[in-house]
Amino acid sequence: MQPANLLLLTLVLAVVAYGLGYARSRSLAMPLGGIRHLKSLPFYYGARAALWSGIPALIVLALWAAFQGKVIQLIVIGGLPEGMIPASEGEASLLLSKISNVASGALSPAFAEAPIAEAAERLKALRSQSQFLMSALVIAVAVLAGFLGWLRIRPRLNARAQVESILKWLFFSCAALAILTTVGIIFSVALETFRFFEKVPFSEFFFGSQWSPQTALRADQVAAEGAFGMIPLFTGTLLISAIAMVVAVPVGLLSAIYLSEYANKTVRGVVKPLLEMLAGIPTVVYGFFAALTVAPFISDLAASLGIEASSQSALAAGAVMGIMIIPFVSSLSDDVINAVPQAMRDGSLALGATQSETMKKVIFPAALPGIMGGILLAVSRAIGETMIVVMAAGLAANLTANPLETVTTVTVQIVTLLTGDQEFDSAKTLAAFALGAMLFLATLLLNVIALKIVRKYREQYD
Amino acid sequence: MTDQRSQAEIVRQSLKRRYRKERRFRAYGILAIAIALGALLTLFTDIIGKGYTGFVKTTITLEVNLDREMMYLDDPTDERQMKMADFVEPLIQALIQEIPGATEEDRDGVRDLINPYASVTLRDAIKANPGWLGTTQTMSFLTHTDVDVYVKHAGDEAYSIKLDEQQRAWVDELLERDVIETSFNDVFFSGGDSRDPSKAGILGAIVGSLLTMFVTLILSFPIGVAAAIYLEEFAPQNRFTDFIEVNINNLAAVPSIIFGLLGLAVFINLFGMPRSVPTVGGLVLTLMTLPTIIISSRAAIKSVPPSIREAAEGIGASRMQVVLHHVLPLAMPGMLTGSIIGMAQALGETAPLLLIGMVAFIVDVPDGFFDSATVLPVQVFLWAGSPELAFIERASAAIMVLLTFLISMNALAIWMRKRLERRW
Amino acid sequence: MKLNKALVTVALAGSVAALSAPAMARDTISIVGSSTVYPFATVVAERFGTKTDFSTPKLESTGSGGGMKLFCQGIGTQYPDITNASRRMKTSEFELCQSNGVTDITEFRIGSDGIVIASSKDAENLDITLEQLFLALGSKVPVDGKWVANPNKSWSDVDSSLPNKPIRVMGPPPTSGTRDSFNELALAAGCDALPEAKSLSKDEHSAICESVREDGAFIEAGENDNLIVQKLIGDAAMYGVFGYSFLEENSDRLQAATLNGRVPTAEAIAADEYPVARSLFFYVKKAHIGVVPGIKDYVDEFISGAAMGPNGYLKDVGLIVPPRAALMDLMDKAEAMPNLTLDELK
Repeated sequence: MQPANLLLLTLVLAVVAYGLGYARSRSLAMPLGGIRHLKSLPFYYGARAALWSGIPALIVLALWAAFQGKVIQLIVIGGLPEGMIPASEGEASLLLSKISNVASGALSPAFAEAPIAEAAERLKALRSQSQFLMSALVIAVAVLAGFLGWLRIRPRLNARAQVESILKWLFFSCAALAILTTVGIIFSVALETFRFFEKVPFSEFFFGSQWSPQTALRADQVAAEGAFGMIPLFTGTLLISAIAMVVAVPVGLLSAIYLSEYANKTVRGVVKPLLEMLAGIPTVVYGFFAALTVAPFISDLAASLGIEASSQSALAAGAVMGIMIIPFVSSLSDDVINAVPQAMRDGSLALGATQSETMKKVIFPAALPGIMGGILLAVSRAIGETMIVVMAAGLAANLTANPLETVTTVTVQIVTLLTGDQEFDSAKTLAAFALGAMLFLATLLLNVIALKIVRKYREQYD
Repeated sequence: MTDQRSQAEIVRQSLKRRYRKERRFRAYGILAIAIALGALLTLFTDIIGKGYTGFVKTTITLEVNLDREMMYLDDPTDERQMKMADFVEPLIQALIQEIPGATEEDRDGVRDLINPYASVTLRDAIKANPGWLGTTQTMSFLTHTDVDVYVKHAGDEAYSIKLDEQQRAWVDELLERDVIETSFNDVFFSGGDSRDPSKAGILGAIVGSLLTMFVTLILSFPIGVAAAIYLEEFAPQNRFTDFIEVNINNLAAVPSIIFGLLGLAVFINLFGMPRSVPTVGGLVLTLMTLPTIIISSRAAIKSVPPSIREAAEGIGASRMQVVLHHVLPLAMPGMLTGSIIGMAQALGETAPLLLIGMVAFIVDVPDGFFDSATVLPVQVFLWAGSPELAFIERASAAIMVLLTFLISMNALAIWMRKRLERRW
Repeated sequence: MKLNKALVTVALAGSVAALSAPAMARDTISIVGSSTVYPFATVVAERFGTKTDFSTPKLESTGSGGGMKLFCQGIGTQYPDITNASRRMKTSEFELCQSNGVTDITEFRIGSDGIVIASSKDAENLDITLEQLFLALGSKVPVDGKWVANPNKSWSDVDSSLPNKPIRVMGPPPTSGTRDSFNELALAAGCDALPEAKSLSKDEHSAICESVREDGAFIEAGENDNLIVQKLIGDAAMYGVFGYSFLEENSDRLQAATLNGRVPTAEAIAADEYPVARSLFFYVKKAHIGVVPGIKDYVDEFISGAAMGPNGYLKDVGLIVPPRAALMDLMDKAEAMPNLTLDELK
């Protein structure tokens, strides 16, 4: 039986166990005078029986499925004639691949040597045996454990507590997974970063003003030494992010103010979802738009004004990134502006201030810390953005503040360094992880600060 | 007296100024919204303008004489003969016949009108219908990409036409007689990637996306909801749970590319999983969407009013019963909405997938979770990077398909929020 | 709680099992290597996939050097079966292969390619000698008899006949065979033409004559030649270094610089008249033939008349195909699959 079918069958058995457990608890309760003499409701006896039957069976299924491949491989290799037993791991992998390709029919058995064809036959036989054994074992475990669980049902048994604690455990492990992810990120990235700093000195990475990560691949190759100064990358990232913020902050903030203070309900009902749509567009689409429409437009425009602009100007990538971030800024500012107590608004208006004066002199100062927090979050989003810059920004690590020139960013370099390359021992590949670590730390820092500000601000008015 | 008047004057004047300021401020607001919506409009018109022609294919209908001698083929069931047979010659002959004035000498020019894969189409047709051999059949083939570009974009400056004068005259003539026709591009929806723009399709990428999304969904939804329940309802208030909480909030803001680094270092290098497969893509996207789902699920749980809990507890329900019987059903619409939005994000994500090798050139439509695949946004990225404008057209068309998916998912989420969510 | 322990045990066992996952059988050919050969190889792969019952090979463009490194890592299904290269295998790479157990390799020379320096049609075209090219792009150039860091900022600093525009050239990274060939065939040749180069020792020669300046005038793009083409089209001040096939595919929008008085044309490259011409190769790991299905058939498809013949489809995508006699030799080679030896590479 296929593992997927077996999984279904295990579930069916668990449902059966549930029914039997439910029935048994009721029949045990009968002579006592009804289910109110049971410690738990019949549902829990059923659920307990189902768990007793299902969990061990699933464990057996998972273990078997995890180990069967390896065991079968060992048996197949062991069954080969003397002269064919592979010497190295690579040969073993080739041989096994060949055998299983013959077995699956991808390679014609007519062309394979006799021992291989035999091994393929054996592999097929072993696979079906293994599947049969697995099915038998899993079903037996499910039935037996279910039966044991069923037998142990007593009216005094606190089935509910048991079922609930298992569920609670399940919930806990899911929550812990979030932790594991963070730990995983930190560990994997940190490990490679350490290995990077074994090859490249700290000071060069942090204070070097040259980025040219290509190093020699072969001993006899003449190539660049490789320079790993991240300053041009960070200034490039900051330049593009700054352009994005110049676009996103005024537009986002003003539209949030207009929508929350001036617009009537119908306008808000139409405009708000449209603005949010900007946030839902995939970044690859923005990248496409920036690279093929905005960038040529900007360089043509500059050329017609007599200014020289690169075709991958920081301006194009930054402006499009700004458009992407507008809804982010506007929805955050919207929250913050709405959180300012109505009393302050009323007080100002009662003194004869116009709406805009109320906004500028009363609400805005009160909301400022929250808005700053929101902007910091938007900045962290901008520096981590990848696709727009990969498609529209350049690769040249220029140290410049001119928005019409080409700059490169941290994320662009990570992608460039890691696509296609699968080496994990060169400084070049490891550099991507070091950059990733810096990016992770920078966004983390921005977030922690931003969330602190926002939270503190909320407390002020709560 | 004069004093008073001037006071009133001052006030009046300042009022004028203040109202003007007020109007200006309001105008700024409208301007800001106009900029944002204008950008949205430009984006959409640009992409639709570039891409609608991607949904059109150009075909040519020919009377093909399947002559045995011309094709060196006697028996279509014989694999060896099929391998050696010439499937190009009948096409060239059919074209020469169809085009008035074309002779044997125009072979090369004529051959460049038809798609290089037309011979494969012909071979497959003969394989499927061995009886056709020796007869004349009316069949329709894709044209060469150059012809496709000429038919769709003649006169458009952005496109360069690679046909020469003679070929253009032929194509015009054939268009006139409806031998060359344009129709809905079904090839685009039924094939995988190709180096030939007319033959390139997005089915492979769509299937890849579906497989990846399936892995993401079955992992992230149950885990996310369970984690949210634990954190909201059961977690003791201590340092550890605080730590988890801070972590989840921060994870939601970690740039997506970092998850790609994680996937590369852990799943591929440590666990030895294969590159470019939907399973690894799904795992990476799961890690990315989990925080979104957990946060929105927690918000949904929080919004269930305490009165419901208290009522249930009041009649003796256990904590777990309160949660499973009362809180969860009421919070479910909010959780589903959050999950749909999280899935929509995952569907549009590109960057982390680049790092785990989902950018290879893959022609076959994937047929399993461990088959090399690419996804829709990565396909857009690949085509957008190609210098041929015919691919840019396909990339825009693929974007339209992608956006259709995303907008319908978001619309579903909004609809659900409106229909199912209760306001307390 | 007993249950907790059980859960932990299972989780551990599961992760151990995942860590030692058995090697997967592979039935798809895996190809890596040069971005110059990539457009040809993808077309062949696609044809091969539609023509035969084998699945379409999976291709990744990693550069010749990167491809060799992957290819030579060992035998086994996790390593690629074929690597493409836009230069011949180096002896150091051959030795790496040998030491990792990749002993039986067959080499196929599949035609020629020229390296061109191209720009957008809107730009001023270059007419340059290799010597001038070295002076513009070398990391160190002679000034008054001394080798100093390249001071030339614009093309006209090198020679007044050249355009008065800043030197900005986009080219492939060192993983790329195009870069290797460019260093050897263009820069080193240009360097040798300088009188000052005569006095250099052998070590100094390779260190000076084959290195490209790193002060931002030469921009290393990734392995994606398409990307370079696209960026050139958008930027008239930029020049790009890539294979001739990319020039031909985009001949309507790009123009090529004249090198040593020669314009790159298919004929000039095939006849070796164009100074920066090189051969293209692919290498097959013989241990994988008969293990991964279809390798031999893929090779047959690549060198078939339909692909590389005078009217073949590879010619349509810009490959400068070998003459008929060489093609026949290739077919014999595909039949016999002779092993590559170190002597051949020397």
